[in-house]
Amino acid sequence: MEFEELRKIWDAQDNQPLYAINEKAMYNLILSKKKQAHHITNISELLLIVVNIGSGILVLVLNLFKQSGNISLYVLSAWMLASALYTLVRRIQRINGDQQFDRSINGDLSHAISVASYQVRISQIMRWNILPVAALTLLGLWEGGKPIWIVLIVLLFFALTYYAGGWEHNIYKKKKHELEILQKKLGNEG
Amino acid sequence: MTEKEQKQIFEEWLTQHKALIFKIVRAYAFTVMDQDDLFQEIIIQTWHSIPAFRKESSVTTWLYRISLNTAIKWTKKERKHYQSDAIDGVMHILEESRMQTDERLTWLYEEIYKLDEIDRSITLLLLDGFSYKEMASILGITESNVGVKINRIKKQLISKSKKYDHYGI
Repeated sequence: MEFEELRKIWDAQDNQPLYAINEKAMYNLILSKKKQAHHITNISELLLIVVNIGSGILVLVLNLFKQSGNISLYVLSAWMLASALYTLVRRIQRINGDQQFDRSINGDLSHAISVASYQVRISQIMRWNILPVAALTLLGLWEGGKPIWIVLIVLLFFALTYYAGGWEHNIYKKKKHELEILQKKLGNEG
Repeated sequence: MTEKEQKQIFEEWLTQHKALIFKIVRAYAFTVMDQDDLFQEIIIQTWHSIPAFRKESSVTTWLYRISLNTAIKWTKKERKHYQSDAIDGVMHILEESRMQTDERLTWLYEEIYKLDEIDRSITLLLLDGFSYKEMASILGITESNVGVKINRIKKQLISKSKKYDHYGI
């Protein structure tokens, strides 16, 4: 067959729809999904900001209330609030950067890669952030004279969080790599 | 834009251009469950895209962009269904037409499905008669790159169709 013949076969399907649409189910789906415009990045950023601000304030208030003078906990509180501020600044930068991409498939892939790179970076930074937070928390518990078993449980909790952070980071890395392969295929001559 | 206006545009687009979406769904998803899944993703993206449509391109070009972008990313999701996964009672949006389809068209879709995600999108645009310039704009690559890819795809499809003719299927 020559290409024009393939095109004729292709065009013939326009007179013969491949599917029928269940319109009621379709509109129900749109109704249920139309409010889900928030991207996963949005949710994880907001979660990071809220958790860091909440924990930072909680640690600060408890420390002030107890008048324990535990320096590690003051530092921990400041660190968490600074982490929330950092995430907020990066979020603003990311949203401003969203306008730079054109609406072609290549532009959309570039945007998706940019979001994936941001996720890779922020997940790595937040994973590293667990280390100083864990160190300061453990130090605070130690200075506060807490029993060793509490210190060990908290240590285990941070170790698990660090492990889960690595798992999340690898998912983002894999996703970014797949998008880069797609863009490479699109840009390759031939 | 009010929701009523958005719904009106959506209905208009779907009535006039559903064949375009069906082609992309069939070219990118193999099983009926996957086709339904991809169709759902495309209509949701289409719905969300309506307020951003500035009439700088035709509706067909716009819908191709949205649908192909969605389909290409959808292929990377790790939740493909197999035919046997069908669960009774699940509400599907797409129902396969019971009309007899041309065997050659089925063969053509199978060949398109064998291509990678990017070549599949170029083949669909090519078969639907888009110019090099329009394809370059939809894909975001140069016209010369489009030309090189099309030559390769055309040669590949013609060579395979000759084998198909040869076996007289």
